Amino acid sequence: MEAPPVTVMPVTGGTINMMEYLLQGSVLDQSMESLLHRLRGLCDNMEPESFADHELVYLLKGQQGNPFMLRARRSLLHPTAPWHLRYLGQPEVGDKSRHALVRNCVDVAASHSLPEFLNEMGFRMDHEFVAKGQVFRKGAMKVVVSKLLRVLATGNTENTEPLSLSYLVELSVLAPAGQDNVSEDMRSFAEQLKPLVHLEKIDPKRLM
Amino acid sequence: MSGGPAVRVSIESQCERQVQEVSLDGLETYVPPLSMSQNLAKLAQRIDFDQSSDSEQDGPERESREPWSKPEPEEDEGAVKFQPSLWPWDSVRNNLRGALTEMCVLHDVLSVLKEKKYMALDPVSQDPIQTPQVFQLISKKKSLATAAQLLLKGAEKLNKSLAENQEQRRQRDFNSELLRLRSQWKLRKVGDKILGDLSYRSAGSLFPHHGTFEVIKNTDLDLDKKVPDDYCPLSVQIPSDLEGSAYIKVSIQKQSPDIGDLGTVSLFRRQPKAKPGKTWHVKLEAAQNVLLCKEIFAQLSREAVQIKSQIPHIVVKNQIISQPFPGLQLSISLCHSTGEKRSQRASPEKSKPDDHLYVLEHNLHQLIREFHKQTLSSVVMPHPASAPFGHKRLRLAGPMAYDKAEISSLQQSEGLLEKIIKQAKHIFLRSRTARTIDTLASRIEDPQIQAHWSNINDVYESSVKVLITSQGYEQICKVLSFSVKRP
Repeated sequence: MEAPPVTVMPVTGGTINMMEYLLQGSVLDQSMESLLHRLRGLCDNMEPESFADHELVYLLKGQQGNPFMLRARRSLLHPTAPWHLRYLGQPEVGDKSRHALVRNCVDVAASHSLPEFLNEMGFRMDHEFVAKGQVFRKGAMKVVVSKLLRVLATGNTENTEPLSLSYLVELSVLAPAGQDNVSEDMRSFAEQLKPLVHLEKIDPKRLM
Repeated sequence: MSGGPAVRVSIESQCERQVQEVSLDGLETYVPPLSMSQNLAKLAQRIDFDQSSDSEQDGPERESREPWSKPEPEEDEGAVKFQPSLWPWDSVRNNLRGALTEMCVLHDVLSVLKEKKYMALDPVSQDPIQTPQVFQLISKKKSLATAAQLLLKGAEKLNKSLAENQEQRRQRDFNSELLRLRSQWKLRKVGDKILGDLSYRSAGSLFPHHGTFEVIKNTDLDLDKKVPDDYCPLSVQIPSDLEGSAYIKVSIQKQSPDIGDLGTVSLFRRQPKAKPGKTWHVKLEAAQNVLLCKEIFAQLSREAVQIKSQIPHIVVKNQIISQPFPGLQLSISLCHSTGEKRSQRASPEKSKPDDHLYVLEHNLHQLIREFHKQTLSSVVMPHPASAPFGHKRLRLAGPMAYDKAEISSLQQSEGLLEKIIKQAKHIFLRSRTARTIDTLASRIEDPQIQAHWSNINDVYESSVKVLITSQGYEQICKVLSFSVKRP
């Protein structure tokens, strides 16, 4: 039985502006197992889903200062799955009391000719990496635990080396703008992971 | 020395023997030396057998032995009668004989005693020590007091440990109950409160109800009063809108009721057991059931409002009415009793036969659970991982340029309501078919009609085998086999 067409999930696409609520943290390699067990218990009851993705970041340098950035991602485990193109806007500078990082997000599924298309459009690949790990979900919340690997030779995803000795943990929700209870739910979920990993909002601008 | 002539000096040993007599011619006769036995006799005579014996020996006897006992010569030998004709071993022999006699007597006495017939041994009775009675009383009192004190101390210890055990048991009971609760329900600790989740969200439901219940420790038990049988140290507080019990009533009616009657369905097929002392398990299960019924009804009413069909469905308060066939009405209602209002139980509807279709209610529960499982399947998980959640095929729709027809064919748009209506239609058709065949069979006598309904049916299909035979003619037999399929 398929899901009925009318659900309580927010409708993606169309003219609805989707925002991504994000919390990030990291955990060392040796504590990965306990974190996985914890997530397995807290999240929805499914078999753990592993993934291996290859992400390419494209930049379009215009006359203005800031280059325009697009992220193209494909799955290495499911080669026939479509590519995923993502645009992430600037983080919203709302009130400081909001617990999660909120930014505008546009997700597009694309066919396998995406890299050539972007090259034709004028984008140039800035960097690429491989991410391997597991995905969990709890309702609308997605928890991604991934190990980032550096690609040594451009385009060759077989030769990789880990960037660090830790895993990146991301808690994200895609929701239409203006829903503040989403960040509350995220914060309470992050509380439950508290001693193992500290998820907090990390402003990417401060890292640059 | 002067040089005189050497003098011969003769050396002779001293004469050791006594001279007995000197004869006239100067010959000395020596006393012959004592032989060995004579020497021994002489020495034996010196032994005094009575030396340590009793003092009854009189003086003269004692004195008579003195010359033999004392080596120094006795001067008044003449006073003592000395009979040299006696054999020197005589005294020894006498003494030994006396000793033997005494030993024999002792032996005889002991052998007679052993038989215990003529002689018996008795201890010499001694005079009992007379203690004063007052002293006895005081000593008894003291010993009793010591014993009593020991017993009291022991009893006190036992009492204390018993009281502690009871207190501990009640404490442990809360913890063991909490453990049992945790083995069946999801619990988490928030601050100093213990909260739990009774919703189906972790099983795939998307209903926005929070479904949180709180675990409370019962500390209002009075130790002095008797503990009630159904006392439980743990109790749960469920959300107020999930109290009581609920079920979904699905019924098919022939006539369509008045519009004014709608929305007044509030009857129950069984009496709600509103016991105040329900255990937490029963409470939680009932609350979860209420939540599931609410979700089913919410889903059905949402579909009834949004999905376009030829005959619109009517949703009034807690009832959904639709018309699968003209003249036929299917009513689905959510009956929720909070257990407080007793007056509703005495409803006149009880006289009506219960036309509630249990099968459809069960199917509704099954369908919603299937829907839950569907949201949890791995088909929904995104690959690549940054993609949003959603069915895999929908993600393909963009790149593969599906058109509307293809997308709608992917989605399989049947909702819960449509499925239930189809199932209700099938039930009605099947019963109508059976009734028709039966009336025909009873009305037509020749040929004979027999119908065999199959036991194994689908929710949308049933099959029946109709045998038409002519009596007496076995060859003429038509078998019709048809199934009532969904339209």
